[in-house]
Parts: sequence; C-alpha cells; structure tokens
Amino acid sequence: MPMRPLSFSLALLLALPCPLDASPRNEPIKPISLTRTADPARTELGSRLFHDVRLSANNRVACVSCHDLTHGGADSRAHSLGISGKPTAVNTPTVFNAALNFRQFWNGRADSLEAQIDAVIENPDEMGSTWPDVVAKVAQDASYKTGFTEAYPDGVTQANIRNAIATFERTLLTPNSPFDRYLLGDTDAISADEKAGYLKFKQYGCVACHQGVNIGGNMYQKFGVMGDYFKQRGNPTDADLGRFLVTRDEEDRHVFKVPSLRNVALTAPYFHDASAKTLEDAVDVMFRYQLGRAASPEDKGSIIRFLKTLTGVQETSLQ
Amino acid sequence: MKMPLQLRTASLGLVFAALLVFLYIKNPAYDATAYFESIALLRQIKQLDARWELDALKSKIGVNTSYDPLVNPLSELDRLREQVNRLGIQQLQGTAADWNRSFGAYQDITEHKTSLIEGFKTHNAVLRNSLAFLPTAASDVQDAIYHLAHQEQGGKREALEHIAAQVDSVLLSSLVFSQADTEGKVSEIITELDELAAVSGSLPPAIVSGLEIFMAHVRTLIDEKKRVNGLLSGITSVPVAAHIDDLEYLLSQEQQQAAARTLQYRQYLLFLSAILAGLLLYVASRLVRSYAVINRVNQQLQTANDSLEQRVQERTLELQQAQGKLVDSARQAGMAEIATNVLHNVGNVLNSVNISAELTMRQVRTSKVQGLARAMQMLNQHATDLGDFITHDDKGKLLPGYLNQLAEALQTEQQSILDELGQLSRSVDHIKEIVSTQQAYAGAANLVEPLQIGSLIEDALRMNNSALDRHQVTVVKQFSEVPVLLLDKHRLLLILINLISNAKNAMADLAEHARTLTLSVTMVDTDTLQIGVQDDGEGIEPDNLTRIFTHGFSTRKDGHGFGLHSCAVAAMEMGGSLKAHSDGPGKGALFTLALPCQTEESTL
Ligand code: HEC
Ligand code: HEC
Repeated sequence: MPMRPLSFSLALLLALPCPLDASPRNEPIKPISLTRTADPARTELGSRLFHDVRLSANNRVACVSCHDLTHGGADSRAHSLGISGKPTAVNTPTVFNAALNFRQFWNGRADSLEAQIDAVIENPDEMGSTWPDVVAKVAQDASYKTGFTEAYPDGVTQANIRNAIATFERTLLTPNSPFDRYLLGDTDAISADEKAGYLKFKQYGCVACHQGVNIGGNMYQKFGVMGDYFKQRGNPTDADLGRFLVTRDEEDRHVFKVPSLRNVALTAPYFHDASAKTLEDAVDVMFRYQLGRAASPEDKGSIIRFLKTLTGVQETSLQ
Repeated sequence: MKMPLQLRTASLGLVFAALLVFLYIKNPAYDATAYFESIALLRQIKQLDARWELDALKSKIGVNTSYDPLVNPLSELDRLREQVNRLGIQQLQGTAADWNRSFGAYQDITEHKTSLIEGFKTHNAVLRNSLAFLPTAASDVQDAIYHLAHQEQGGKREALEHIAAQVDSVLLSSLVFSQADTEGKVSEIITELDELAAVSGSLPPAIVSGLEIFMAHVRTLIDEKKRVNGLLSGITSVPVAAHIDDLEYLLSQEQQQAAARTLQYRQYLLFLSAILAGLLLYVASRLVRSYAVINRVNQQLQTANDSLEQRVQERTLELQQAQGKLVDSARQAGMAEIATNVLHNVGNVLNSVNISAELTMRQVRTSKVQGLARAMQMLNQHATDLGDFITHDDKGKLLPGYLNQLAEALQTEQQSILDELGQLSRSVDHIKEIVSTQQAYAGAANLVEPLQIGSLIEDALRMNNSALDRHQVTVVKQFSEVPVLLLDKHRLLLILINLISNAKNAMADLAEHARTLTLSVTMVDTDTLQIGVQDDGEGIEPDNLTRIFTHGFSTRKDGHGFGLHSCAVAAMEMGGSLKAHSDGPGKGALFTLALPCQTEESTL
C-alpha cells in the first residue's frame, strides 16, 4: 500500500520520530543495568522480612503472599486477599523491577518504595498492622535483633525495617531478558519475528508510553486516551478514578501510572482492574483506548511475541 | 598589700580566661565549608534543573526517545534539596524563618514544576503518537476513498475525491499547526473537521471508521498540542533559578555576616589574648621576682637557722655551764656545809685550846717561880753569910723548907702546865685532823671508789660531832651487813653531813626530851643501797614535803636552803633519789636516800 506522496514527503520534512535508525544503542527502551550496589546484610534482612508473616496483624500474610517471587512477583488472582480475606481494590502488580518505577502503586500515591511499605503494612485490608507492633515483633526475634544490630547502628527501628525491605526490593530486578540482550548488542537474542514485533510496538506508538528502562513506569497516562474505556467496561469503582484519588484534579481522572511491561507475560491478569485475562485482550484494549487505532491480528500477534521477549531472569542469588 | 595584688591579678586573669572561653563558645562555629558546599549543591541543582528543562524540550521534538531523562533527576534533585536544606538550616540558625520561607517557596515551585513535567510527559506522549499517526491515518482514509472512488463515477466520485482532498488539507493544516505553534490555524482546522464530520454520515462504513480515527487524532493533536504548549511555557517560566538565587543570596548574606562576626570575634580574641599574654608576662615577672624573694628569704632562713643552731649550741653550753655551776654551787654549798662544820669543830677545839692556853697562862702567871726569885734574892743578900743565914737567921732557917715546898709546888705546877700543854697539842692535833678530814673530801670529783658505808657514816657523824654533843643527841645506828660498795664518796658524804646536820637542827628546839637520831643502812636488793636518817624533831608540813628539796627553800631563819636541794641534786647525780617522809609537824622526819651501787667484786 503506497503512501500518498504528500503525506510521505511531509513525514520526512517534519523529521518525525520515525525509527529510521535501528541501532540498538539508541532505542527508547533501555536494558537493565547489571551493576548492583546493595548491602548484602540489609538485603538478607529484607528478604527475610519480605517472607515473614509477622509483618501482618494476624501473622497470616507476608509480602510474598501477594507478591509471589516464583510467580513473576505477583499472584495469579485478579484481586489478592488481605488478612481478612477481603480482596484488594486493584490487581497486584509485580514487585520485580518496582524499584525502577518512578512512583509506586497504580495511581502513584507512594513516592518511594519506603513510602509504599508504610502504606501496605498499615493498610487494614492488606496487612492491617501498625509499626509499633511490627517493630516489637521483629525486635523480639533474637536472630533479627542480632542481624539488625550488625547491619544498622541503631538496630531494630521502623526506618531500618523499611529500609531493609526496600533494599531487598531494589535487588528484585530481572535483567538479561532476551530483548535486553538484544539491546546490548546480541542481535540473535530475539527472532526476526520478535524484532518485527518490536518495530510494530514502536511504529504503533506503544513506545510513547511504555519506554525507558522499565518499559513503562516513568509516567502517568489516562486509561482511555482515545476513548472511554470505563464506559465500555461498566461497573465503575473508586479505584478506577486513578490519580484523581490522590490529587482531586479533574485532569487526573482515570489517570494511572503506565505499568512496566517487563515480565508482562508472567503477570496476567492485566490492568489495575484485572479486566484483561490475556495479553491479547490487554493489547486489544491498548490499541483501542490508548492508541485509538486498529491493527491487524498479525501485527498484534507480532507485538505480543515481542512482549514475551521482555521476560527477564530473576537474579538467582536473591531467591 | 601583697596578697590582694596577687588576688587581683589572679581574678583578672580568671575574668579574661572566662571571657576568652565565652568568646570561643560564642564565636559561631561558622563553617565556611558548609557555605561552599551549599553553594555548590545549589549550582548543581540549577544545572540539573536546566538539564531537566532541556530534556523536556528534547522530548518535545523527539530527540529524547524515552522519558527516563525526565524521571531520573527526580531522586537526585530530592537528595540534593534535602542536603541543601539541612546545610541551610544549619547555617541560618539565626534567621531560620527566612530560610524556611525561601526554601519552602523553592520547594513549592519545584513541586509545581514536577507536576507540570508529569503533565508534559503524559500529553506529549499522546500528542506525538497522534502526530506521528496522522499521516498514516490520513493515507488509510484516502486509500479507502480511492479504492471506493475507482468503483464510482461522476459526481459521486468527485465528491469522494473532494473528501480525500479535504483530508489532505486537514492533515496539512494540522501538521503546519503542530510545527508553527500558532493558534490561528485551529479554527480553520475545526471548521474543516466539522465539514468532514457533516459529510461522513453519507459515506460508506468502510470509509467512516478510518475517517473517524483520523479526525479523533486531529482533535487529539489540537487538544494535546495546546496542553503541551501550555505546559512547556509553564515549565520554562517556573522561576526555579530565581528561587535558587534567593537561597544563595540568603546563604551568602549569612556567610558575609558570619565572616564579619568571625572577624569581630577574632579581633576580640586577639585583643583578649594580647591582654592575657601581658598578664602572663606580668605574672612571669612576678614569679621571677618572687623567686628571688624566696631565694633571699631562704637564705635568711638558712642563716637564721644556722645562727639558731649556734645559739642553741651556745644555750646548751650555757645551760651545761649553768648546770655545772649549779652543781658547783651545790657542791660549794655542800662544801660550805662541810666548811661550817669544820670551822665549828675547829672553833670548839679552839675553845679547849683557849682554855688550855688560859690555864697555862694563869698557872704561869701565878707560878711559884716568883717565890724562888725571892728566895734567890735573899740568898743573894746573904751570899756572904749564906751558911749563917740558913742556919741562923730566922728567915734563913725557913729557907730550905720553903725551897723544898717551892720545888714541890713547881713540880706540880710544871706537871699541870705540861698537862695543859699536852691537852693543847692534842687540841691542835684534833684541829689538824679535822682539817685533814675535810681536805680528804674537798674537791673530790665524781669518782667512785670502794668504800665501807659504816666508816663513811662515822666520818659524817664525826664532822657533826661537836654539834651533836652540844645538843645532846643520841645517835642510834641500825646498820645491817653491807659489803664494800663502789660509790661516790664525796657526794655521799656531802649528803650524809647535810642530812645529819638537818636532823640535828630539826631537833634543836625540842625542850625537854631526849633527842634521838636514828641512822639506818640496808641493801634493798643486790644493787640498791638505802640509807635512812630519822629524827624525832619538828617534822615537816605535808605541803612542804616536796618543796623542801627546791633550791633556796628553808624553814630556818638562818638557813641558807642549800642543804636539801644540793642533797637531792647530788643523789640524782649519783643516779639515786632522796625522799622525805613525815607524819606531820612535831612527828619527826625520815629522809631516805636510795642509791644504785655495785659491789666491788661485781666490777672485777
Ligand atoms: C494483600 C496482598 C498484598 C500484600 C500482603 C502486599 N502487597 Fe504489595 N501490593 C498489593 C496490591 C494490591 C498492590 C497495588 C496497590 C495499588 O496500586 O493501589 C501492591 C503494590 C505493591 C508495590 C507497588 C508496585 C508498583 O509497581 O507500583 C510494591 C513495591 C509492593 N506492593 C510491595 C509490597 C511489599 C514490600 C509487601 C510486604 C510488606 C507487600 N507489597 C505486601 C498487594 C499486596
Ligand atoms: C497512552 C499511553 C499508552 C500507550 C500508547 C500504550 N499503553 Fe499500554 N498501558 C497504558 C496504561 C496507562 C496502562 C495501565 C492501564 C491500567 O491498568 O489502568 C497500560 C497497560 C498495558 C498493559 C497491561 C500491563 C499490566 O501489567 O497490567 C499492557 C500489556 C500494555 N499496556 C501493552 C501496550 C501495548 C502493546 C501498546 C501498544 C499497542 C500499549 N500498551 C500502548 C498506557 C499506554
């Protein structure tokens, strides 16, 4: 299908961001760096805390209950269950590469991993605990106590528990995905079809929102830029308001943090409302409501194959 | 005068030292490094901020393909901001309110800028997508139109081609609009879009969907473009630099003030230090001086000490001499006693000498020798007729008888004169003896010699002999067996003479009753000799029992008070003691002399 001469020449004239030059180095998506600087003692403490049910009020739920590290850093439920068995308002995002997000939570209400931990521990539907309780329980454990006194000058404190968990989370990165290897110059790391999928991903404009090192996670976007997604879906909930809940600004209604697409193949169901059971569904929605355009099933399939190259390797030392 | 001066100096020094410490503490520990660090941080923030803005612009024109550059500075900026705030608070303690206000304002505008950039990312992404997609969307519509137009004829075909041209026109205006940043085109595009929308109802569905997609993106482009422009101008007009300059100004002002203060304090400190140094110098000079004074005083002390020692020596010598004199005088007193006794005795004997001489003289004066002379005169007168005369003369006849008688008388006379002279010469011998006995003791040094206590007591008694006789004192001797002892004969004699004389005197006033002097000698143990002298005389008042031994004490009007004192001294000199005992006045007295002694054998 030949392009109209005018359109074609204009495109050239305007020097639009056509990915003319496909040099792996200058891509909108960046690979995860392999250099690590985390303190091993603190990481170790954080790892234990992450798996420790005592962080919850009734000693039933640990971080890992919802963020299963063997399951892409999330669970397979649409909505996870907190201490009281009540489902969470939104789908559980993965903790993998959460450290690379510029804000935490779907609506970005936590500025940092540390702030996020405060929120989840004291959230009555999730862990339902209080910091004094958590600090007391951790301090009672002799091995924690010695571990903390070795890793922190002031031993077991709220800030140190938070820091240990956050330090651990900062190590929950999944580098070395086939696509990252491709970006790093290994041209054979992904197939020609997957490369084509990446090209489509860029050409269609998915990359406008899902870009950067985390392939997302660095901006807010309205869910439904090119159409009213929620009207079509029905059953509006409070959580659907997105950042509006944080800022109370009309402009922020239905605005969410663009999620990372790393390991996306492992984290179904998709979206904050878990409305998309499969990647196909999710990509369909994206085309319709985020891009406002139609795509052939081949192109979609190609993009999905590309998305599957984003599954990284969980660093073994951390398991 | 000296003490207060030193006190004043010391307190002055203390005051200055305290002032120094005060100034040192007061002196704001203003650390210029904090200032420079803050300024460096602020510059860094400014730079990061400028780069942030630049990255936004780059994202706008598509040079940046990811938004990470707009996100990455966030945490770095947060960190720097926090650091600057900490440093600022630390530096601007005095004007914390100013700092908090300025920093708060700065933080507010950075938050504002951050949210603007968030918005920019959001809208720029959508804008760029639509913009990028617009030509494709247009060509998709046109393809569909041309595809249909091929099958149509005449007016219908023209109408379709007109629509295709309209799409092209909208695309062109949209693209120009997107580049030109002008609002002018907007109404034009909207009109065209409205026209397109109006005709779309009559178009076949295959075209309508593409057309709607195209139009939606044109609208999105227009909306998002406006938004992005607004956001960008908002971003570039956020006066971050001005606020940073405010902070810098505050810091530099504080720095200048602190520098001025430091200078001032330094001057104070210098001044104070100078004063303190002066004080120190003064104190040092005082020290040197007092050192000299101490030296001098030390020397004086040394000499004083020396002279004191000398004086002590002199005094000791004097004392020794005095003691010697005392002993001497005691001895002299003793000697005087002896001398008195001697003189007394000599006087007594001289009495007999006198009497003997008188008697002899009287006898010589009344001697019958004159009768012989007269007879011789007669004989001489009758030398011629001597025979006659003797035979015839009356007187002459008597002459031979007379001469016989005379001869007899002269013989008796001679005999009695001879007797008297014999007595005389005995008396003289006695005197000689007295004198020689005295001489035997006089001047004797502290010499122990073997002696028989008994004979010594006899000597003492003899020396008092005449007085005892005169006072008709009966001497009772209760001598137990005593070996020959080594004793200071002279001193012991002196004591005994005195004690005996004393006892005799004590009994002098007894009118009608026998006077008894009891002398006793016993060995208390193997090396202590005890001699008792007891009288039944006037006795001693209890009060006087000890006083009697003091120098110059006497109850007698004519007493010289030497006696008992010198006795006690002598006893002491011999290592012994002299004690007095009396049951009271009129009850007599007992003097007990106890002397340590050694038998002659034991010293061998
Ligand atoms: C009851 C299930 C549950 C438990 C337990 C739980 N989380 Fe979560 N987690 C969630 C849900 C749901 C969200 C999304 C909430 C939202 O965005 O509002 C979330 C979000 C997060 C995020 C943000 C990820 C992102 O991409 O925004 C992090 C990080 C995270 N959790 C870490 C933890 C840690 C650490 C613990 C343990 C202290 C923990 N979670 C415990 C359910 C859970
Ligand atoms: C305008 C921005 C934008 C564009 C363009 C965009 N997305 Fe998304 N994407 C989002 C947002 C926002 C969400 C999260 C929506 C929610 O769950 O609230 C999302 C979610 C997703 C998810 C689900 C992730 C998860 O873990 O739940 C996938 C998959 C996805 N996008 C893929 C794509 C693909 C493929 C494209 C291109 C065809 C694309 N997106 C284009 C903004 C965008």
